[in-house]
Amino acid sequence: MHSIRRWKRSSVRGWFLLSVGVLCPFLVQAQSTAAFNRDTVVLDPAHGGADGGARINDHLEEKDVTLALAARLRSLLAARGFNVVSTREDDLGSRSGTPLSTDQRAEMANRAHAVACLVLHASPAGNGIYLGTSALGSSLAAVTQNASSNPAPTSPVTWDRAQELYIPQSLGLANQIRTALSRETLPLASGRVAMRPLDNLMCPAVSIEVGPIRSDGSDPTPLSDGDYQQRVAEAIAGALIFWKNQAQPPSSISPALSTSGAGQ
Amino acid sequence: MILRIKRGKFIRAGAVLTFIPRIPWSERPLARFNAAIPRYQRVLFYVLLAGIVLMAAFLLHERRVAHDRLAAQNDATPLAAPVSNATEPFTLDLASDSDGSVTAVERQIALPTVPSVRARALLERLMAEYALPNSLHPLASGAAVDDVFLLKLPVAASAPSPADAAPEEELAVINLRGSFINDHPSGVEVEMLTLLSIIGTLHANFPRVTQVRFLVDGQPRETLAGHADLERVYPAVDTTVAAGGSSQ
Repeated sequence: MHSIRRWKRSSVRGWFLLSVGVLCPFLVQAQSTAAFNRDTVVLDPAHGGADGGARINDHLEEKDVTLALAARLRSLLAARGFNVVSTREDDLGSRSGTPLSTDQRAEMANRAHAVACLVLHASPAGNGIYLGTSALGSSLAAVTQNASSNPAPTSPVTWDRAQELYIPQSLGLANQIRTALSRETLPLASGRVAMRPLDNLMCPAVSIEVGPIRSDGSDPTPLSDGDYQQRVAEAIAGALIFWKNQAQPPSSISPALSTSGAGQ
Repeated sequence: MILRIKRGKFIRAGAVLTFIPRIPWSERPLARFNAAIPRYQRVLFYVLLAGIVLMAAFLLHERRVAHDRLAAQNDATPLAAPVSNATEPFTLDLASDSDGSVTAVERQIALPTVPSVRARALLERLMAEYALPNSLHPLASGAAVDDVFLLKLPVAASAPSPADAAPEEELAVINLRGSFINDHPSGVEVEMLTLLSIIGTLHANFPRVTQVRFLVDGQPRETLAGHADLERVYPAVDTTVAAGGSSQ
């Protein structure tokens, strides 16, 4: 009798440990990838402080252009009902006196669970707008020891490949922005980029690099041109209105969310 | 006239004059010289004189020998027939900033035969294309690549097995010059195009190269010019991109 009771107790304990072992990966996955806040957009004006980025001209640095573009975009998005989280609202973007690192920016963006994360850049080279999505999941993805093209839902999300789950959503967001910019007849190109913090973002993320508009027979439109910045900002804001309703969480997250909901 | 030579010893000035050898046919000074100078001093004088002459002759001889030796070293006379590599067709993946494209272009180039030196020369040629005035992806002129090392994969294998030895794959470690990095234009697109161009050119001409890693002056570096990641190991793949950036 005593042995039967002990066997029952041990079997119950075994089932409990087994169920915890099965559910834990889903719970961890669910904690790391929550659903979107559809009204939240993260803006990351790149560079800041001592890191001026590219030198646009003698008096203008990339960090100033990205901050100005982010300010325009912020007001346009706020007017459309978005909650905008910016990783940098002044030159430094932090009270500590040192600019935030790319990891800190990614961490701030990931906490927002935003429906879109936009990393803003500017360059004196190129022509018009360059839309970049993470190279993760493409043929140009970094070579790693245990890299797999389709990570399993239960596999842990590594920091360097955090964006990998969101690549389809990021490509969709880039496509939406590309369409909006094309309507504005702005020259644009797109590609996959290997760049931080894009690879560390757990949200649909796109890098938007603004360059001067070069046309034959006339002077290029400079990046400091207010009308040009306004056109770009309005096109992006318009695209995000559509994206807000279209965005779907990554397919590998949905069952995890339902499991975690059942568990709770 | 009396000259003082040592304390308490004096000689006549005329005796000093006899130290100067006179012409042999003048009997009188020589006789006076022989009479005034002791024999052993005269012998010593002639021995020293002969030594000076011999040393001068020896120095002249050595100078001639050294001259001949240096002339032999600088001899540029061709002893072996020069080897000239024939030009071969090579594929360069050329980037364009205007539309974000990377296009494969064929060039006839004569390159060295040693693979690592060949890869370095090829990349230098690629960068020289970008330094031309009408380049679509303008970069500063000057040497860009210090070295290219081709390492067999896996790099950390303890003992090569026969299975590993069959398909030889290589990791290309490209050591860029700091001056090239410092002069490189800054921007996401322009930096990515440079990386894609280098990776694609290596992939097209060195089929064994499957991975590419970058160093700058022998050290790892975070970004190329503030944007594109230089710390990761890139796969060597076809990086040609159509205008507007639709492939990869």
